[in-house]
Amino acid sequence: MRFFWEVVRRAFRQETTYRLAMWAGLATNLFFGLVRAALLTALLPAGAAVNGMDAAASVTYVALTQAMIAFLRIFGMTDVSKSVYSGQVAMDLLKPTHLYTLWMGRELGKAGFNLWGRGVIFMALFALFHPLVFPGSLGQAGWFLVSLGLSWLVSFSWNFLVNLAAFWTPDARGVARMGFLISGVLSGFYMPLQLMPEWFTRLCYWTPFPSLINTPVEIYLGIVPAGELGVRLGLQLVWFLVLAAASQAVVRLGIRKLVIQGG
Amino acid sequence: MRSLTLYRRLLSIQLRSQMQYRMSFLMDVLSTGLLNGTYFFSVALVLNRFGGVVGWTVGEVAFLVGVAEIAFGLTDMIFSGFDADTFSPMVRQGQFDQLLLRPVNITVQVLGSSFLLRRLGRILQGVIILAYGLWMTPVVWTAAKSLYLPVVIASQVVLMGAIFIFGTTLTFWTIERVEAVNILTYGGVEMMGYPMDIYSKGMRRFFTYVVPFIFMNYYPALYFLGKTDPFGFPAAAPFFAPLVAAAGMGLALWFWRWGITHYQSTGS
Amino acid sequence: MKPILRVRDLEKVFWVNKRRQGILGSALSLVAPQMEKVTAVSQVNFSLEPGEMVGYLGPNGAGKSTTIKILTGLLVPSGGEVEASGFVPWKQRQAYVAHIGAVFGQRTTLWWDLPVIDSFELLQAMYSIPAERFRRNLREFTEMLEMERFINTPVRSLSLGQRMRADLCAALLHEPPLVFLDEPTIGLDVVAKERIRQFIQKIHQERGTTIILTTHDLSDVEKLCSRVLILDQGQLLYDGSLSALSQRFDGRRLLAVTLANPAEQITLEGVEIVSRDGPRVTFSLDGHTHDPAALIQTLLARYPVTDLEVRRPELEVTIRRIYEEKLLQPAGQA
Repeated sequence: MRFFWEVVRRAFRQETTYRLAMWAGLATNLFFGLVRAALLTALLPAGAAVNGMDAAASVTYVALTQAMIAFLRIFGMTDVSKSVYSGQVAMDLLKPTHLYTLWMGRELGKAGFNLWGRGVIFMALFALFHPLVFPGSLGQAGWFLVSLGLSWLVSFSWNFLVNLAAFWTPDARGVARMGFLISGVLSGFYMPLQLMPEWFTRLCYWTPFPSLINTPVEIYLGIVPAGELGVRLGLQLVWFLVLAAASQAVVRLGIRKLVIQGG
Repeated sequence: MRSLTLYRRLLSIQLRSQMQYRMSFLMDVLSTGLLNGTYFFSVALVLNRFGGVVGWTVGEVAFLVGVAEIAFGLTDMIFSGFDADTFSPMVRQGQFDQLLLRPVNITVQVLGSSFLLRRLGRILQGVIILAYGLWMTPVVWTAAKSLYLPVVIASQVVLMGAIFIFGTTLTFWTIERVEAVNILTYGGVEMMGYPMDIYSKGMRRFFTYVVPFIFMNYYPALYFLGKTDPFGFPAAAPFFAPLVAAAGMGLALWFWRWGITHYQSTGS
Repeated sequence: MKPILRVRDLEKVFWVNKRRQGILGSALSLVAPQMEKVTAVSQVNFSLEPGEMVGYLGPNGAGKSTTIKILTGLLVPSGGEVEASGFVPWKQRQAYVAHIGAVFGQRTTLWWDLPVIDSFELLQAMYSIPAERFRRNLREFTEMLEMERFINTPVRSLSLGQRMRADLCAALLHEPPLVFLDEPTIGLDVVAKERIRQFIQKIHQERGTTIILTTHDLSDVEKLCSRVLILDQGQLLYDGSLSALSQRFDGRRLLAVTLANPAEQITLEGVEIVSRDGPRVTFSLDGHTHDPAALIQTLLARYPVTDLEVRRPELEVTIRRIYEEKLLQPAGQA
């Protein structure tokens, strides 16, 4: 456990050194956020609302999803597959912790920094251009944080799982990109699921992806139907456990392949 | 003339070496195409529910997106030698010096140093979106319109290419690639995919007077789709695109040449 | 004869950004950078006759690569004049580089994914080499460099030695009268080095090509160059023949004897013993003050000796002494 926190601490410190990249990332996120917000405000003129989403709520939706890009690594993560290709993974297997936990530590450190550097700071910057909505109560805010934590766990496990393709194919990048394009639509990152046709939203909820982004944002905005809060959080937890278990199983298979065939 | 022949030979090398890895090439084409396609799919689903945005139907928005995507896919393919991501390591590792040591125009050599065929995926995806847009919009295609559409696409390619060149030239000073240029390239295509009516006045002004994207896609689209201009520009505004592109490319090439002079006086 | 390369008062000054400490400092550096002047090359003068081959030596950071970059048109100097094959390199770069050849041993000019022959054909197009001349040169170089075996292999699968040979060929196909070779034997084994040296020698002799050779391997220079230029801290310290250099700075001779009786105490008046290893004793003689022949006679008369050897210190040692002990003053200030 002490080793795990040491990994986290180091990853956090490493991430703080990329300060220039942080501001560059913020500027890019901000521009795309403004474009997306312009579209949504044009769709929802004053007074109009769909499923509880009005202009202010949808702008806040955009702000939150843009703020979560670096925290959840929405544009994909390929570090694990790279380590398989470079052979670094063999060194990692010698460390006194499971591969999944090791990478969780590394990613958690980065995420910790980005939650502040690319998340909170982003929200503050975005608020200069558009008025944002805040959670209605302390309880709501608390549940949002719980949900955000769970969405990080789901996101990390999903990214990790997709990366494991590197054990079998030299083109894990293509697999990761496929994973990203599915999750981009189904998680509600591109467009709020509440504004999508109902049949489509229902389809999304059969996958882990709404648990990545849509759920914490809807909790923040307070537009989760009454009595469904527990279900949504439970769903996040279940998906985390399923993906984590799948990762462990796939890692075991991957290592067996690595050991037998020498990579 | 000699430059053109050489460019063609450099291209054929690029194509040949990329085709050596056929499987991963196909995978790349497919995934980049789908990646951008799914984004439009999300937007179209939402727009459909609202029946369009600011007086533009889903089909008309698809027309905007399709043209911009085709043009950007082409830019990314043709000007990939000027992609700061490939160029700045080339300078750092000394390969750029190797190009300077050959008696051939340096711009032609950089253009010929990379040609990302896998961007076909994005182009194809743009073609599909454009086809969908054309199918959904009852527009009468006159001969003039049919002839002008390729010109518009070419103009966008040239202007975006100019921005690539500009961004790459900056790396002579900054060494690392300049992230902010992404806002104009990737951000630019995204921005051009929607009617300009949705943006705030400040943003619209920026994209009219500073980086005149408004004339590249929006105004030509007004002409193609037979829509009226809400901003009261001269009636010729849809035809500014080639001029803006030529001016942009002229400026970029001038800056590029100046950048090389600077590089030659500082080394790496 | 008119020199093929003339360098006069060459100077290159770089302005580097001096970094300040801390966050405030780095923010300040962005707005108002503190520039520091670094002189890489100054007061360099020399000229080459057509058909000469010179070694260009100097420790790391001496300004060698800066000079080579200026001479090949990649870098604009801060002052001075260069005339090479009738061109000012940095002013007429694109036209000028058609008349020179350059090999930078650390990197390749060939196309990574292409078979070697395809790269050559592409260079033929770039340098507009007439077909007949291209064929003739290619045939000749292929034979001399023994490239038949790998000429259809993609460059990425070549060994370092093979790649270097291909690069040499690529730099010479257009028959440049002036050639810059920067570390052409770096990282190669003895056999490969020797093959490359022989090729360079042959090109130099048969075609009268003027060659500037930069290298860290002094045996390259010893075997190939009669004239050397030595650069240190941006200034030209020596321009002359290699033998005169060792004569002047290392007139010393090392005299090593093996004594029949290992326990024998041995001395020679006024001669320093540099090492003693069992029966083997090494003396250092000064060529100017000592008479080696007389000393050896004295020695043999006094002590029973089983083996005796006189040698010059290695060139590498001499050159290192020149750098470290600053034995030479800049020629420009003399």
